[in-house]
Amino acid sequence: MEYEDKAGRPSRPPSPRQNVRKNLDFEPLSTTALILEDRPANLPAKPAEEAQKHRQQYEEMVVQAKKRELKEAQRRKKQLEERCKVEESIGNAVLTWNNEILPNWETMWCSRKVRDLWWQGIPPSVRGKVWSLAIGNELNITHELFDICLARAKERWRSLSSGGSDVESEDAGFSAADKEASLELIKLDISRTFPNLCIFQQGGPYHDMLHSILGAYTCYRPDVGYVQGMSFIAAVLILNLDTADAFIAFSNLLNKPCQMAFFRVDHGLMLTYFAAFEVFFEENLPKLFTHFKKNNLTPDIYLIDWIFTLYSKSLPLDLACRIWDVFCRDGEEFLFRTALGILKLFEDILTRMDFIHSAQFLTRLPEDLPADEVFAAIATVQMQSRNKKWAQVLAALQKDSREMEKGSPSLRH
Amino acid sequence: MAQADGLTPPRDAPGQPRVSKLVLLGSGSVGKSSLVLRYVKDDFKSVLPTVGCAFFTKVVDLGASSLKLEIWDTAGQEKYHSVCHLYFRGANAALLVYDITRKDSFHKARQWLADLEKELHPGEGVVMLVGNKTDLGEQREVTFQEGKEFAESNKLLFMETSAKLNLQVSEVFSTVAQELLQREARQSHSAQGDAAVVLNAGPAPQAKCCAR
Repeated sequence: MEYEDKAGRPSRPPSPRQNVRKNLDFEPLSTTALILEDRPANLPAKPAEEAQKHRQQYEEMVVQAKKRELKEAQRRKKQLEERCKVEESIGNAVLTWNNEILPNWETMWCSRKVRDLWWQGIPPSVRGKVWSLAIGNELNITHELFDICLARAKERWRSLSSGGSDVESEDAGFSAADKEASLELIKLDISRTFPNLCIFQQGGPYHDMLHSILGAYTCYRPDVGYVQGMSFIAAVLILNLDTADAFIAFSNLLNKPCQMAFFRVDHGLMLTYFAAFEVFFEENLPKLFTHFKKNNLTPDIYLIDWIFTLYSKSLPLDLACRIWDVFCRDGEEFLFRTALGILKLFEDILTRMDFIHSAQFLTRLPEDLPADEVFAAIATVQMQSRNKKWAQVLAALQKDSREMEKGSPSLRH
Repeated sequence: MAQADGLTPPRDAPGQPRVSKLVLLGSGSVGKSSLVLRYVKDDFKSVLPTVGCAFFTKVVDLGASSLKLEIWDTAGQEKYHSVCHLYFRGANAALLVYDITRKDSFHKARQWLADLEKELHPGEGVVMLVGNKTDLGEQREVTFQEGKEFAESNKLLFMETSAKLNLQVSEVFSTVAQELLQREARQSHSAQGDAAVVLNAGPAPQAKCCAR
């Protein structure tokens, strides 16, 4: 590797496969530095015994070095084989999704086999299609409706930028100033949505798409409007779908009960979600649950960010997409199951932290979270509490909170 | 929601600096997170919008004494109001931030202050009004005088900063910390006042009283 770099890059970049080959056919580089030389002639020669000893040591060193090199080469070979295997299985998965599952969606999507494949992650090339199908379109949004909403959004941007904002008085209850503030905020948030990817910012290839979807949504649902966090959800969809389809998926996704509760910032409802989460938290991780309780670390501290952005802000993007895969399949329950998986993964560290450090840790998770470990942890989370499933627990809590009349929404447990 | 009702467990372990909770509040994109980032990590970059709340800690070294700040950086979008005002509860100090280039953010500060006061007991807590983005002086919409007057009429500390150029940022935090320590010293002094009539000797013990 090293001398390859020194020799300068070949004029034509080698195909990745060739490149890999070269790395494999190894030369034990480290031995080249080990040369046994006789003493210079102007010095007395070594005694035979010592010379013999040195020769032996030298040979041992060479053998050790070769062993190390060989081991390293084997490790690299194994890594390569594993990578090839992963690529092959992704290739196979793409074929299975395209040829078997997608054409027979209705009958196949809930089969055991598909569920297993699904859990392993949907290949990026079919991800958008699968998400769209799984999210559905119960709002019956058409491409035409998207065009209409977008046209209205553009109209509004124009009238605001030309300063005629006070004249229009549609959508009673939403003042021009509010609308302007939310348009400003959209602009600002777009500039800070996945800034590292450099594709959503002004001048980037997806900037206009993101702007369009968020703008169209505020026209489609002025009652919800733009809420921070939405830009991340829209961005993840844009990475996997065309603009109009991304809008359809976005609107339908936000229309799910859990998302509506959060994006409308319906505090009472959010609290029942947190309470339901705590039921399963206590069930799965009693020790950590007690520790958090003792430290007053309530679930809102970390769940708000995770739920609002569907983990896209707090987890590495590829891992977040895998969470979305199963979220699209299993619904809101999986968001809370994921949260428990993360807590479980870090249970030992978290039980040793005080309030502020846990809060800090959970709102800024390590950047290199390995997907497999996270999913292995999630897999061990039981979403059953005393024979009740998530939906039943949530429904019971919602009923309780409704019965407790509207009065002061107490936050204490 | 979190840390409510002043039930915070005692965390002043001997030998450890006093811990104070400081919250940042103010409209969206006035630079709350940027101020914290500059102060805690001496960095300035595009920060992601805060959803919910972000947390930091920093020990403020004030020469003779030090203070550990638990910093709660809350979301600025008004829609998050109903959730985030709960994070103000139990705060010992607050930075009420606005953007000097946006009059609306200054007007909103009034509203934020009212929200804050709902969660703090009267006289409790050190509140500083912070006008950020002085680097954008030519776009200024709120004068220094306006900020100062608003602060004075509400008994707030006041400073203008630039998180971008690192102007007055650490001063904001150390001034607040200083004020916290002074108040605490005054309180422990007056608390001692009654008992200390009998035995008013020796150096004042390390301030230990809970600031609330």
